[in-house]
Amino acid sequence: MTFAPDRFSSRRDTLAFLVCLLLAVAARVAPPAVQDTVSRAVSSTALAPFLAVQHQAQLVKESRSRVAAISVLRDSALVSAFAAHALQEENERLREILQLTARLPVRHVAAEVLHQSGPNSGLMVVLSAGSNEGVVARAPVLVAGGLVGVVHSVTPRSSVALLWTHSDFRVSAMTLDGSVFGIVAPRRAEGPNTMMLELSGVPYQERVPIGTVIYTSGLGGARGVYPRGIPIGHIVAVGEEREGWSRTYVVQPAVHPAAVSHVVVLTGPAIDLREAFAEYAR
Amino acid sequence: MSRRREQYRLAIVLLLLAVLHFALRPFLGDFRSSPDLLLLALLVYAIRAQPGQAAVAGFLVGLVVDSLTPVAFGAAMLAHTAVGYLAAWGKAIFFAENLVVNAGFFFIGSWLRDLLVLVAGRHMDQSAMVWQLFFWSPIKALTTALVGVVVLMLFRRWLPIRITE
Repeated sequence: MTFAPDRFSSRRDTLAFLVCLLLAVAARVAPPAVQDTVSRAVSSTALAPFLAVQHQAQLVKESRSRVAAISVLRDSALVSAFAAHALQEENERLREILQLTARLPVRHVAAEVLHQSGPNSGLMVVLSAGSNEGVVARAPVLVAGGLVGVVHSVTPRSSVALLWTHSDFRVSAMTLDGSVFGIVAPRRAEGPNTMMLELSGVPYQERVPIGTVIYTSGLGGARGVYPRGIPIGHIVAVGEEREGWSRTYVVQPAVHPAAVSHVVVLTGPAIDLREAFAEYAR
Repeated sequence: MSRRREQYRLAIVLLLLAVLHFALRPFLGDFRSSPDLLLLALLVYAIRAQPGQAAVAGFLVGLVVDSLTPVAFGAAMLAHTAVGYLAAWGKAIFFAENLVVNAGFFFIGSWLRDLLVLVAGRHMDQSAMVWQLFFWSPIKALTTALVGVVVLMLFRRWLPIRITE
């Protein structure tokens, strides 16, 4: 390495740095409405072509999967067991989405998940459907396995979903028979891949057996955010007890966001969806 | 080589990295460990830019990242501005001509960016932050550094960077 004193930063460089820092701090402390406006403006203008490229790449990847799947059917003996397994998983995910689409009795839109690369990408994701497809803010996002999150902001061609891993995520939950209600929120991480949820506010005298499936409660009615009956996860352990008043339960999520490539966004009223997920309950 | 020609070549490499960042994303597997080509473009730019220019570039990259993932709007702007400025400033003091030093430069840049985003964002609980910073971020930094070395090797005639192995 060679010392190069002639390229030290000038006063103008320091000034540019400080101005950028000030703008960043201003953006950080700006009201959420302003932040959303700037975010939507950038996403729908400068970033739109890049997101379109990513969307096309996602479609190419899926097309390749389908072509490969056909090749596997035609000449399956030549495909290694590992590759076949991966393709089968991809096909099953797509088929699950199609089956869920057929079962859902409410208006909805299918969308690809466009994962990003920042350290926050496990908390929010970009979806390939936007207001042009009928997506609105606060619309539930789900897959065949259960709830993934909720739409945070929308542009004409894309939207951003807040995932259940985000510390702001909350959903009113219940058991299938509606005997126990509580609030589900993310629990602190216990490993690189072990994000869990917790069901809190369950009255002390109510016991929820291990293995019980937890669903969205649909409190708020047809105008609420989450319809009744979307699986959230199942109870795996009893958490904390609060002075004999309430218990917290640890919930294994039904869906891990990192594994999700396609989702369904509900765009209709929040009607009861327990029938659509009846298979999950069994 | 004329200065204008150098600038065009650098712009082409940066644009290529930006497009590949989005086009390759579906094929790169787990987003937590895959290379960040947008950050790499910033660091490649910072290698030859003045610290002020690198800070502005960092701010713009941060604006893009924050718009795509508005978990803690402004945190990525802050982090990328600081990383861009520090990268250009560091490079102004030391000309790294060695591939390993460049790889280390990309690694530290990527990890430092993650650290600043998480600290400025304050949206993760402590244990999730520890797992992110000491498990996923180093893997991402490593993959970013490896891709960075490949980019430097592929475009060493285009990028005005002297590389000795």
